[in-house]
Amino acid sequence: MKQITKYTLTSLLLIVALITNAQTVDEIITRHRNAHGELKKWDQVESMKITGRFTAFSVEDDFFAIKTKDGKYYSELKLGQFDVIEAFNGETGWTIDPWQEFTFPRELNKSEQNVFLQKAEFFTPFYNYKENGCEVELIGKQVVDGIDVYAIKLIRTNGHTETWYLDANTYLEYKRESRWVDFAYGVPAETYFDDFREIDGLIIPFLTEKTFWQRDRVLQIENIEFNVDVDENVFTMPKSAEIEKLAFLIGNWGVRVNAWSGRANRWYKADSTSSTIDYIATNLIQEKISFIDFFVQSNITNFGYSSSESKYFSTTYSGFSSEIMMMNGVFTDSTFVLNNVKIGCDTSQASIQIKATYSNITEDSFTLGIEQSGDNGKSWNPWVQLIYGRMKE
Amino acid sequence: MKNIMEIKFKYLLITFLILVNTIAGFSQNTKPDGWYQFRGPNRDGISTESLSDINWSETKPELVWKKELGSGFAELTISDGIIYTMTSEIVDSITGFEYVAAFDENTGNELWRSQVDSIYFDVDGWGNGSRSTPIIDENQIYSFSGHGKLSANSLKDGTLNWQIDFVEEFGTTTPRWGFASSPTIVDDVLIMEVGGTDSRAFMGFNKKDGSINWSSENGNASHDSPLAATIDGKEQIIFANGRKLFSFTSTGDTLWTYNMPFGSLTAIPILIDKNKIFLSGVRTPGFIIIEINGNTATEVLNGNSMKNDFSSCVYRNGYIYGYHVAALRCVSVETGEVSWTKRGFGKGSLIMVDDKLLVLSDKGKLAVVKATPDAYTELISFQAIEGKSWTAPSFNNGKVFVRNLTEMACYNLK
Repeated sequence: MKQITKYTLTSLLLIVALITNAQTVDEIITRHRNAHGELKKWDQVESMKITGRFTAFSVEDDFFAIKTKDGKYYSELKLGQFDVIEAFNGETGWTIDPWQEFTFPRELNKSEQNVFLQKAEFFTPFYNYKENGCEVELIGKQVVDGIDVYAIKLIRTNGHTETWYLDANTYLEYKRESRWVDFAYGVPAETYFDDFREIDGLIIPFLTEKTFWQRDRVLQIENIEFNVDVDENVFTMPKSAEIEKLAFLIGNWGVRVNAWSGRANRWYKADSTSSTIDYIATNLIQEKISFIDFFVQSNITNFGYSSSESKYFSTTYSGFSSEIMMMNGVFTDSTFVLNNVKIGCDTSQASIQIKATYSNITEDSFTLGIEQSGDNGKSWNPWVQLIYGRMKE
Repeated sequence: MKNIMEIKFKYLLITFLILVNTIAGFSQNTKPDGWYQFRGPNRDGISTESLSDINWSETKPELVWKKELGSGFAELTISDGIIYTMTSEIVDSITGFEYVAAFDENTGNELWRSQVDSIYFDVDGWGNGSRSTPIIDENQIYSFSGHGKLSANSLKDGTLNWQIDFVEEFGTTTPRWGFASSPTIVDDVLIMEVGGTDSRAFMGFNKKDGSINWSSENGNASHDSPLAATIDGKEQIIFANGRKLFSFTSTGDTLWTYNMPFGSLTAIPILIDKNKIFLSGVRTPGFIIIEINGNTATEVLNGNSMKNDFSSCVYRNGYIYGYHVAALRCVSVETGEVSWTKRGFGKGSLIMVDDKLLVLSDKGKLAVVKATPDAYTELISFQAIEGKSWTAPSFNNGKVFVRNLTEMACYNLK
């Protein structure tokens, strides 16, 4: 009986402790949210425009960012010697970051998406953590840098965990340990929050210092505006400037196919077909077409731009021969000219060279002329001509 | 009479001994006065001067002068009223020159400059010019350019007396961000981390003519500078290169080596007390402390409470003061525990004068802070210089000297 009582009492104390612990987490988070201002006021904030100074590599420069209530984020900043643009639509995003040695937009990877979830928050993830599906767990009261803090573990829906250290006196955030990225690679990071200021009754840290690996990044906010107009287009990844020049290719096309008759010395109509050309990535356009010149040619052609070579390239996969043809070239004077190049390990000279010329380019039409050369490009003979006309919606 | 003779003899003997000692002292101790090399007189970031008699609440730092200076990261070395440092001049986007130059300590006016190499253009835009700090000797100043040329120039007028191109002569590969190691002199031997091929990682040169005294070991050129100090009663030169620590005599004999748990250190090894060395980098562990007994090195502590990037620590009375990445910290060398942390200096630098830290932020704010583990106590702070300031201050004759990539300045703290 005595043992049962002891067991019951211990269990009871454990349950009470667990309940107390759960209440304590909620209580701490409630106080933390209240420390940032009235929740009602935060609920009225649809967007934030932040301007300030951002320091990277010990060089300070202008910073600009937009955050929205639904988790979107856009910013323009200077990272060392390069201008960087970042955009996030709440789930995915894009960036132009010349540190990765290319200057066109690229999609964010998974590690970066997790970073932008953090960047997009109005203050901390505790603002609406339950609605966002985050889990929290009180680690306990600790002393960090001489400051009494509550350490709280946060588990995001993407599985990433963060540890937040909330000042035990003010309930404002002091430190965060989370995953960050360095040149797109995931790394652990520490973020410190300071210089809390009130704007329209809302409390926001105006100074954020982040260290990851040997990096140090400091954001000193100078001004925040609430409920600004947001241009939703900025969250959509733009195409690279060079691939944008090939936008004339994009569309659904009716295509007349002319083949060259050497005997008759004239074009003759070989086929009428259709083609679809569209972007398949920021730096890639794809055409799918099937036509008959003599045989049935079912081709998929990808067009891209190599910034390292300053040339366009195309790769055509032939469904007829299973061969691959790679071409490269330039776009000048409204004419886009590509020449075939050798691929693979065979270094012998190609006996026949091929040239594709896109000309007569208008908003609703263009002509693709394909020529062959048997003398290393000294003379060219017409082969196939495809005349594209935009199909009506 | 006998007593008088004895007294006279004793007097003569004492005079003779004093004379002998003085002569011997002169011949052995030819070290210049002042902040004459990388990290000051003892290469430990600590001045031998005093700052204790200052009423800081009434002190307002006085700007003595501020002068334009070309790009470079070399510290300002000072002796006999003259500042020597490295500077550079850009001609166009692909052309420029590096110079060793001399300036009047009191006015900052340029006395001479001597071209020592073409300019090192930094690939990532961190800053062009020399990364290494020259060392002042009796008659010459020895400098090391961003492209790896070791030069000896006359202190008097800057005449180039001799020069060695490490890349050409020793097959050294230029490290990313350029050569950065600062020369040291021990027993009249000019000692360098060379990073050359064929067992020429570390070399000793005849400082008069640049001829080779010795070379040893294999390893690439790094960004770290050797420590020269008396450890366990012996004068030793310590190189941290790759993942290995080397100890040499001035004649090139290896005393001991130690395999470190990390590599690629930039912060210089720090001597703790008489026979311990503190080493720190940004990896894990962040630091180790090794103890030297005889010719054996043993790790006595490691931890992550201090992770130095390019800025080196100073040591005082059981505590290391330095930058844990970008946070100024005081850490116990007994336990590795953090006594205090202060943010806001970025990836700055620091030196120590007396019992005060002179802390320079990476944007040129200078603070005088008590070197005590009790708490971060700032005595004064002021904006000494603008813009990126990655070069540690120098201290000489009660004045602090700072530089960035465009200018240098002198402040009187007393």
